[in-house]
Amino acid sequence: MMETAHILDAKGLACPMPIVRTRKAIQGLSPGDVLEVLATDKGSTADIKAWAASSGHAYLGTETEADVLHHFLKKDSAQIEVKEGIPVMDLKTFVKKVDEDKSLTIVDVREEREYHEGHFPGALHIPLSEKESQMHELNKSEDIYLICQTGRRSGIAGIQLAENGFKNLYNVVPGMTEWTKQTKKGELKS
Amino acid sequence: MTTRTAIIAANGELFDAYKVFNIATAAAASEHEVTIFFTFEGLNLIHKQASANLPLPKGKEHFAEGFKNANVPSIPELIAMSQELGVKFIACQMTMDVMGLEVDAFVDGIDVGGAVTFLEFAKEADVTLTF
Repeated sequence: MMETAHILDAKGLACPMPIVRTRKAIQGLSPGDVLEVLATDKGSTADIKAWAASSGHAYLGTETEADVLHHFLKKDSAQIEVKEGIPVMDLKTFVKKVDEDKSLTIVDVREEREYHEGHFPGALHIPLSEKESQMHELNKSEDIYLICQTGRRSGIAGIQLAENGFKNLYNVVPGMTEWTKQTKKGELKS
Repeated sequence: MTTRTAIIAANGELFDAYKVFNIATAAAASEHEVTIFFTFEGLNLIHKQASANLPLPKGKEHFAEGFKNANVPSIPELIAMSQELGVKFIACQMTMDVMGLEVDAFVDGIDVGGAVTFLEFAKEADVTLTF
């Protein structure tokens, strides 16, 4: 069973509370754990980013869902930088490829809740927070397509996989944020 | 090395309190070492009774509603949070003498000191702010 990422609900809180709560929440986690912070304070994106940079945590990105911001942080992982990314595959090209070949290895690196809200048929689910423990399930010689919400987290996952000897990796950009629009039309829904 | 933030709080209305405590808690949450020197009207911000009923500036009373709607924490909550995060409060001895105030008029856990006490901390500070 996949573990759920750690979630902090800071919705409705004004500055500086989202940061104060985030600091407290991340103190209880282990290095490498991913924390998802839900906030409605529009200033929190810039604040979380700056705070992460000064506190040694990796800021993985922010997804917006209705009026709620979902910030993703990885504890004590500031050394993860998107320095040399893996090759990018445009979402449209990827969707075409999936139609032609149902046996593609697709890895969805989003967290459990996001994966359950909709994912590519047959996509393996290995959240960024769990990836290191489950990497061995993947075949290093296969083509692997990594996907998340926007392409940021899948990009980070790709770099980590590449460092572990994986060769044929593709980061699907922009990710599920564009794809879900198609699911509403009834296409591709798993 | 730890980043140091030194703040002087010299005014005593509600807006002043938010400026001081928001910056102080944000700095402390970013692992800064924070000291606030409360002087003259600034002493209101840590006075046991006054801090819970700080006035809005004249003509700005209508902002009371905005504070409620934006769900900002109250000043006593921000004081407690600051102290929990390790923010150090120094009350100005000279002002206390002028106003006839004793240390027990203020929230618990404060230090009382003179300008030099603050300057000793502030001379090594990376960020210095006056409100």
